[in-house]
Amino acid sequence: MIKVFNLYKSYGGIAPVLSDISFDIQDGEFVFLTGQSGAGKTTLFKVLFGWEKFDRGQILVGGINVGKLNEKNLYQLRRKVGFVFQDYKLLMKKTVFENVAFAQQIVGANMKTVRTKTWNALKNVGLVKKKDSYPSQLSGGEQQRVSIARAIVNDPELILADEPTGNLDSEISKEIFALFEKINQQGKTIIIATHSAEILRKKERRHLLLKRGKLLQS
Amino acid sequence: MNLFSFDFIKTTFSNIKSNKQLFSLSVATNFIAFTVLGIFFLLFVNLDILFSSWDKHIQLIVYLDDKISNPNKKKIELLFNSNDKIDSIFFVSRDQAWESFRGKFSSKSNFVTSLNFNPLPDSYTLRFASGPDRLKNIRDFSEKIKNENGVESVEYGEKWISRFEQFMIFLRGFILVFGVVLFSGMILIISNTIKLSIYSRKDEIDLMTLLGATHQYIKVPLLLEGILQGVSGSLLALVSVKLIHLYIVFWFQGSLESVFRGLEFQYLTKPIIFSVISTGIIVGVLGSSISANQFLHRHNSE
Repeated sequence: MIKVFNLYKSYGGIAPVLSDISFDIQDGEFVFLTGQSGAGKTTLFKVLFGWEKFDRGQILVGGINVGKLNEKNLYQLRRKVGFVFQDYKLLMKKTVFENVAFAQQIVGANMKTVRTKTWNALKNVGLVKKKDSYPSQLSGGEQQRVSIARAIVNDPELILADEPTGNLDSEISKEIFALFEKINQQGKTIIIATHSAEILRKKERRHLLLKRGKLLQS
Repeated sequence: MNLFSFDFIKTTFSNIKSNKQLFSLSVATNFIAFTVLGIFFLLFVNLDILFSSWDKHIQLIVYLDDKISNPNKKKIELLFNSNDKIDSIFFVSRDQAWESFRGKFSSKSNFVTSLNFNPLPDSYTLRFASGPDRLKNIRDFSEKIKNENGVESVEYGEKWISRFEQFMIFLRGFILVFGVVLFSGMILIISNTIKLSIYSRKDEIDLMTLLGATHQYIKVPLLLEGILQGVSGSLLALVSVKLIHLYIVFWFQGSLESVFRGLEFQYLTKPIIFSVISTGIIVGVLGSSISANQFLHRHNSE
């Protein structure tokens, strides 16, 4: 699913933010990307997602050479990857249903498909009853569920979740991780960036450990 | 129309609805700019009609030397007859000319009746076939004939025609330069309105790009919004110029007819109306493209 070779990325400073990163992730894997704040987790995600450019190296995501993409065909990569943001990035003027359907509409799905897939995604995250609520009427955990539903609604092969429980308490975090495990069982590849030591202790999953931009454990 | 294009239209109107004031302001500014341009076009169209009507009355008068020989006179007549652009040839003898002159002016001046000789020469009055090159044909032929032996002079009101022609060239140039300035201004206005529209929906557009929207999907509603601004401005301007036209016809048509030999004050021609609307579309497309491309380029280079 993902192949990264000798990846370097800097923001113009002396020390690169990512330095000589190489790893492989197979289809259907569930991987934690860990490291302290500032280790480069978010930058690595942004680079994998084509959100930021990198200086050197090679990245293949689902057969797409990320370095070869230009701004006009970047959408091809974005449609293969569902991104779950720490700050949810929900549209406050749209209902839960409209927020999830939005991801379907922008890829040009017809009305019937939009309705069916949005309904299924909401069912998957257990938010059918809240479909007509606005994000401001939801709790943090519910908002993150909407964000997850939006990430899975287009049936992507890979899900990147950047600190998805960063703003949530431990009980809600457990529910969110359970949700990711359920999605993983449906065949999706999942990478979760987290610095929650508790989660890592409990979950017997593969870890990619970043420290000051270097991959210490893969 | 498929669902996808309906979605674009829905998004466009939703954008306009959420930025009503900004949209109205941009339409109003474009309306003023197009109205000013339309008034100049109205002036140009009617001066052009006036010039064309004068053009139809222009005739070339060839005055002959008093001592012209018969062979030279025959040669000149041959030149007239061999020119297929000349519609009719009238010979006016010096006696006929004098009679006509005295008939017109004897009551107004004692000088004419006291003159005991005829100072006027024989002449030919030539009418040229109508067409777009009529004036040019007259001018070319007069250049050719005036140096012939036996021709004293030629006359077709060259000086005032040249002056009017120069004025029309100046007016055309002025409208062109003025139009380019207004055109640039309108592009700038629409571009800034669309920029503000983009920034008011920045979160949504950012999210669209992150969720895999194509550039086309993001740009088309913005382009439609720009086109609507440009076209609305131009259509309103055409209506206001029509009202100005009707006002002038209602109050001044009589005066215009008497001063300018029956001139009927006209509205803009169809090609000009079409050009104004097309300019509205072009201005809208360019203005919104500039902002949309800038935003998408900046967004992707972050």
